[in-house]
Amino acid sequence: MAELTHFDMQPLQLTDDFRAVTIAPSASKPSRSLQAELDALNDLHHKLISSEEGVLPTRVPGPPASIPPKRAQAVTKLRDQANDLYRKGKHVEAQKMYTAGIEMARARPSWQPCAISREELGGLYANRAQAYMAVGQWAEGSVDAQTSAELRKMGNAKAWWRRGKCLMEMGRLEEAGEWVRRALEIEGGEADLRELLEDIEKRLARGKA
Amino acid sequence: MFDVDWKGLALPFAYLAVLGGALATFSTIYRKRKAARSANLEPWFGPHVSRDIYLTLLHMLPEDPKDEKATKIPVTMVRAALLRRAIEDLQRLVQIRSAKQACSSLLQRGSVGDDLWQRFQRAESEMQAELQDVVREANALSPQWGQIIFQSANEILLNDRMKEQIDEIQDTVESEKAWWAKRKEEIGSELIKELDESEKSSTTDEAVLVDTPEKKKKVAAKA
Repeated sequence: MAELTHFDMQPLQLTDDFRAVTIAPSASKPSRSLQAELDALNDLHHKLISSEEGVLPTRVPGPPASIPPKRAQAVTKLRDQANDLYRKGKHVEAQKMYTAGIEMARARPSWQPCAISREELGGLYANRAQAYMAVGQWAEGSVDAQTSAELRKMGNAKAWWRRGKCLMEMGRLEEAGEWVRRALEIEGGEADLRELLEDIEKRLARGKA
Repeated sequence: MFDVDWKGLALPFAYLAVLGGALATFSTIYRKRKAARSANLEPWFGPHVSRDIYLTLLHMLPEDPKDEKATKIPVTMVRAALLRRAIEDLQRLVQIRSAKQACSSLLQRGSVGDDLWQRFQRAESEMQAELQDVVREANALSPQWGQIIFQSANEILLNDRMKEQIDEIQDTVESEKAWWAKRKEEIGSELIKELDESEKSSTTDEAVLVDTPEKKKKVAAKA
């Protein structure tokens, strides 16, 4: 148990504004792993002292289960506005609004439950993919749909379908077929996905003929 | 009858004494060497940087809060450092748990030496003590923090991984866009070429048509 009482003193010092820790200049050779860890520490410290979301008065994260609802409300509001714009046919404006929503959801403090972020971001990326597809931006659409499917694998047939559709539209039929088959395994024979697969296979057959 | 010939027995006794002595010496030396070897065993994990940082900061804290000259490490920084330490511990815990199954089955099959198993068991017990230590420190730094520090650490770990995953996919956007722009151009020029060719082929079609009757005639002639 010598491990527990022993530690290696690190050459650390505070910056002049007392807000960050750096390697002291007296250190013989600055270690890269130490620098990386200090960067992570300073970043976390900064977030903890400047955030009000789910932080206890002692500046430590509170229980992950109790989270203030404000951010979730803001994200929902942005998504609803974006959905409205999309329905009105303002696809480019809708893309921008979804992007704003994504930024809002991404800025959620990392000590809050990851499951919430996955849910929010998964939905937003899937919707932005749709807004890209509406104006024929297949490349952006496919990347967003892939992001969404990666975030929420189950119960996210829309995202799977959208990437498959984008790949097909770009003529990447082999890739699209593979993607949709994987989607069918996960989503369990969704009708839209099966239809898309048939379409892809038809086009493949036509290409070979 | 009970007259023992002590002189005659001296030799066997001496033999036993030498044998016992040799065995005892061998046993002590062997045990000492073994102990020394296990003490020198390579630790399972590399240096625990975040733990070192935490303890260094703790030592830099002024012993008397009113002492003006002492370095003013904000206590919030120490708390953040403990959280970083908890995050690293969780990663190590996951590594140990996933290694345990593999390690014990390899040991049973004799594929790995006793050394590895010893290192592993030491790492496991140290891990246990390390986790308890973090909980104790957390409770000392903020009331009841020990109960939730690992929950928060776990969420931070998951969120960081998720963001990495997102960035990895989203970073492909530029190359995908560039690929699609190029491909679209290619498709466009192919389409124009096809149109040109179909114009040309409409003239060659007639030539073929002219040919066919002759061929037919030849076939007919052969028949």
